[in-house]
Amino acid sequence: MKPGLREDWMKLTRRDFAAGIAAGIAAPYILTSARAQGATIKIGMCAPVTGPAAESGGYAIKGAKLALDAVNKAGGVLGKQLELIVEDDQTTNPGIVLAFSKLAAQSDIVGFLGSIRSTQVHAMAPDVIKLGKPVMIGGTDPNLTHMGNQWLFRFRPNDSYSGRVIADYGVNTLAKKKWAVLHSTDAFGTAGGKALTSALEKLGAPAVLDQGYANQSQDFTPVVLAIKQSGADILGSYFTFENDLGIFARQLRQLGVNIPWVGSPSIVNITALKLAGPALYNTYGVADYAEDSSEGSKAFGKLYRDTVKVAPDNQSSWPYDAINVLAAAINKAGSTDAAKIREAILATKKFPGAEGEYNFDQNGDGLHGYNIVKNDKGNIVFDKHIEFND
Amino acid sequence: MDLVLQLLFTGIGIGAVYALVALGIVLIFRATNVVNFAQGEFSMVAAYLMVVFAVDLGWPYWLSFLLALAGMALLGVIFNLGVYYPLRHRSFLPVIIATIGASILLANSVLAIYGPQPQVLPGWFDTPGIQLGPVYLDSQYLLIIAVTVALVFFNYWFFEKTMLGKKLQATSQDKEMASLLGISVSAMIMITFIYSAVLGGLAGVLVAPVLFVSIQMGSTIALKAFAATIIGGFGDVAGAIIGGLSLGIIETFGAAYISVPYKDAFAFLALVLLLIIRPQGIFGERVAEKA
Repeated sequence: MKPGLREDWMKLTRRDFAAGIAAGIAAPYILTSARAQGATIKIGMCAPVTGPAAESGGYAIKGAKLALDAVNKAGGVLGKQLELIVEDDQTTNPGIVLAFSKLAAQSDIVGFLGSIRSTQVHAMAPDVIKLGKPVMIGGTDPNLTHMGNQWLFRFRPNDSYSGRVIADYGVNTLAKKKWAVLHSTDAFGTAGGKALTSALEKLGAPAVLDQGYANQSQDFTPVVLAIKQSGADILGSYFTFENDLGIFARQLRQLGVNIPWVGSPSIVNITALKLAGPALYNTYGVADYAEDSSEGSKAFGKLYRDTVKVAPDNQSSWPYDAINVLAAAINKAGSTDAAKIREAILATKKFPGAEGEYNFDQNGDGLHGYNIVKNDKGNIVFDKHIEFND
Repeated sequence: MDLVLQLLFTGIGIGAVYALVALGIVLIFRATNVVNFAQGEFSMVAAYLMVVFAVDLGWPYWLSFLLALAGMALLGVIFNLGVYYPLRHRSFLPVIIATIGASILLANSVLAIYGPQPQVLPGWFDTPGIQLGPVYLDSQYLLIIAVTVALVFFNYWFFEKTMLGKKLQATSQDKEMASLLGISVSAMIMITFIYSAVLGGLAGVLVAPVLFVSIQMGSTIALKAFAATIIGGFGDVAGAIIGGLSLGIIETFGAAYISVPYKDAFAFLALVLLLIIRPQGIFGERVAEKA
């Protein structure tokens, strides 16, 4: 080795030194940033961790995590692992707006799970449009996917279907024509009640009583007495909270009203069954999730029971499906670009989920039918599935 | 007529619940000049204690009931020492804010310990109710009404006929004078907090089989109870009872004959009307300041 060469190699100019220092300082940040952006694909979830729906919120998170684990075990999405970030929506409208805004501020979240409660989805909807990323929802107010918000995708059948199924089952199967319709006065209950009364009119059996109630009522005696006085021979209901449903069911039976009762999905959820007990025996419900309705439902039911040790219901099944469909859509889109994911979700057809077979229409509705189930001494028994093509 | 009787029974039943919680609010107000916004949470905590003892541990109902009330007495002591006592020389506002803070703490502590699931607490009686002619009488509501009536007489006897009751009254009317007469003001306030916590707990334990046990149960009842105390005349024991019963009856009949969704509005409409017509409440005395 020539003496001069070694000296040249070791010679460090001031410019080289400065560049080295700069690279040394910047490298950890660049690496961390690259890792943060690239290691996982993030999905945000607004769920009621606290508030009146905290129990069902826990089930929803468990359902989402089951799907997340399954997707990750199968290789993840676009070769990366999925990561779920949960924010508490406090079961309130301001709560979900805050939760969604916290999640929306994280630019690397590619898709979101919103609420099962329509009123909360309405509250967050303007921010969803502003953000312009896909949000999976479980709220069943038909308006949610018909009000020009192209970023909402529904993973439960909407209430125009539930109303038609309740009416159809009561009129044609149970042969009852004098209906009392009871519904919450929130967005979900009002839309559901409207769908049911409208379906009843079309079937030639207009409701003899259309009664709203405010959520978190402590007493339903006036409502029960109104039903009694109306001479109704069947009851259709849209309850938002299980506490209300439990109190009403008990008072209904105590005051001697034993007419057939076909309710919205809350009538067959776990919390309602626990609270109301025998007061709900022999009632019917429309259920978007019924364990025996399909192979996909059975498979989810077994997985959920084995893992969570609780009977599955729609609180957990729709987030499970939402994660699975979203993951499949991102893979199909081959990108995390919001517009491409949207197109891929809308193109999803014949996707077997826990809730049924998903065939997305251009409004963002994935399901178009309901199951009818019966409460047989506390056991929820599948009766039949009614699907609509319009 | 059958309808009216049924509504009347239910209105009195739910009104009695408001009255029990209102009674606790009034007693603390009389003793300390402060509204305790955690009174509803006392009901909720007692109901959860009952679930722990009677349902989870499977202890006899009467024993669970006594233990739950004993727990509430202890909570009353802690509440007095932790929330009221350190702020006793301050104006009423910091103390009120402290009670709001305590109510949030209690609700979230129970949430953290017991979880968000609503719980079912069986009633005192195996028979859910009795049919008396056209009227169905819920056994739990019957018990609530009976306890409220008993408490009216007990409070009269306690505050008017016993030395301890008179000392408590003296303390509530004029703390300085009571102190000069040798009454331990701190001890009297402590007793008031214990009694109020037990009363709130009693309401919670009695109403839990009807409304289920949940974190929100206390705040819902407390809001109505607070309205009841204003209707009855703030600071008046008989007023709290009458105010609570009136509120229960007004909202039940309002719901039945005018509008179910606006049931809660009737209670507060009654409150606003009363504040306009008779600001001091039904039993309240008119207070005027000298020029």
